[in-house]
Amino acid sequence: MALLDFQTSLVRLVRAPNGSDSLQPVSLTADERGYLSDLTEDPAFRFTVKVQRSWCAGRAAKAAYLTLSILPGEVRDQLLEEWVSCGGGTHSFVGRESTAFLEFIASHLVEPSHELTICRMELAALRSSEGSLRFKRPNLSRIDRRDCFVRRGHYAEVVHFYGEPERVLNALTKREECPAISSEITTLIFGPGFDRLYTRATSNELALYDRLASPAAAIALSGEGFARETVQKLLNGGVIEYVG
Amino acid sequence: MSGGEARPSTSVPRLGIGLPYFASLPVELYQSGLIDFVEITPETICRQRPTETAIELEIVPQQMEKARSTCAGLPMVVHGVELSIGSAHGWNTAYLEMLDAFRETWPFVWHSEHLGFQTFLGADGSTQEVGVPLPLPPTMEAADLVARRSAMILQRYGVPFLLENPAYYLPDPPSDPEIGDDIGLMRRILQRSGSLQLLDLHNVYCNAINHRFDPFEAVDRMPLDAVAEIHIAGGSWENGFWMDAHDGRVPEPVWDLLEYTLPQCPCVGGIVFEMLDEHVPKLGVDAIQQELTHARKIWTRRRQGDSNGVTRLSDFARTVSTCP
Repeated sequence: MALLDFQTSLVRLVRAPNGSDSLQPVSLTADERGYLSDLTEDPAFRFTVKVQRSWCAGRAAKAAYLTLSILPGEVRDQLLEEWVSCGGGTHSFVGRESTAFLEFIASHLVEPSHELTICRMELAALRSSEGSLRFKRPNLSRIDRRDCFVRRGHYAEVVHFYGEPERVLNALTKREECPAISSEITTLIFGPGFDRLYTRATSNELALYDRLASPAAAIALSGEGFARETVQKLLNGGVIEYVG
Repeated sequence: MSGGEARPSTSVPRLGIGLPYFASLPVELYQSGLIDFVEITPETICRQRPTETAIELEIVPQQMEKARSTCAGLPMVVHGVELSIGSAHGWNTAYLEMLDAFRETWPFVWHSEHLGFQTFLGADGSTQEVGVPLPLPPTMEAADLVARRSAMILQRYGVPFLLENPAYYLPDPPSDPEIGDDIGLMRRILQRSGSLQLLDLHNVYCNAINHRFDPFEAVDRMPLDAVAEIHIAGGSWENGFWMDAHDGRVPEPVWDLLEYTLPQCPCVGGIVFEMLDEHVPKLGVDAIQQELTHARKIWTRRRQGDSNGVTRLSDFARTVSTCP
């Protein structure tokens, strides 16, 4: 059996031991197919599968620590199980695993809900933290140039809380009763340039962030009513950035 | 190493007793005199950075600085986990590029990797991670692939390169008669490449329990004159298997294996007590110090030429008979 075929077949079996088509695309003789089929009946193979799933679940649990910690146990276990079953948890570096798993979790949570807010906050904190490692304060005088365009920052996110953020977080992490979903939304804006990676967004800051869903000339923003200080604050926080 | 086609191209200095670097352990432990050298897994101070064409491994400067200051003055060896040297479709070049940068900042005395594979070619042609390291089949193709890559690594870094024998649970992979088993596989790779062995005695112990063979006889068949480093570690029972869990103290039979093996390894440079970062708090600093002291006693006795007459079979038989 060629090494490539052996490895492909073995990994497919380990990752999906009950999958009927695990060996289909691989070129194997009848004997080789028999060997691999017999393998799946072996307790040592089943233990290998168990170890693989346990390692993957362990990685995923670390990768979405905050969000998983606020979910009920059965929901948490179900999400981990589903994630590992569809091939998740294999990334050895937590950043990639976190992004992928948190996006997966977000797709399974109710909109709006405090749990989804926390999930998005963890994702936003992760992104801005990643960006902070190479963030450099921009030269603010550039905004006066006619050829200066700005856009949303690559590592920026906004997160909407349907209640007072501290109350929501406290209730969830202490497993106390959560405040009801409120129509009064508090928005945190995350950026790699902020000291704590986020700030509570004002309506003007949020409007500017929304405006920059597509790039705009910096000089035109004042004409649209955006204060110079707002533009500068968001540039300094990495919430918006220069194009080019 | 009998019948070898290549010889180790570099010598191995005698360092003594080593400990992996963990940011969570107190700095004082590394400067206590109990440790002669430190073993660092560079990936633990790295993060991934996606580029347009690939995913790079980037050393995090603050973490590098902390590691260097913690281990100040100690010789350092590298123990990598991300190379996937046995993947048929290709190895992790991002790891090697990171190691180039790492060496520029912090030169290592030798470096090592695990003999196995943990990436494979996905259906879409991309490299994917298995999620757990898997062993290589003892075949000529696997041996020659790893030997070729090991020789390239030796050339690239100019310091000894070591391959670690893995713990595995899978039974009887397909083999070539010229190779036979995992010991034959390691032997051929070392002969062909000039690389050396990192002999993990806990892995030998693990495999011996789970596959029911005598670990002393296994050690006797190994290329002991090519062993440059020895690992000892702890494990635990799960589902009737002894897990290479690195979650506790060194079992007595592994100490016996060390007593037995060490005098037969003429070029060994050090012994490392391994554990996983997440188990460090449970294990505690006192227990770590005791394991280091125990290892040093054996190391020192070996240097004085006393093999201590280890009982071979009875201890191991006793251990197996206590399996749950």
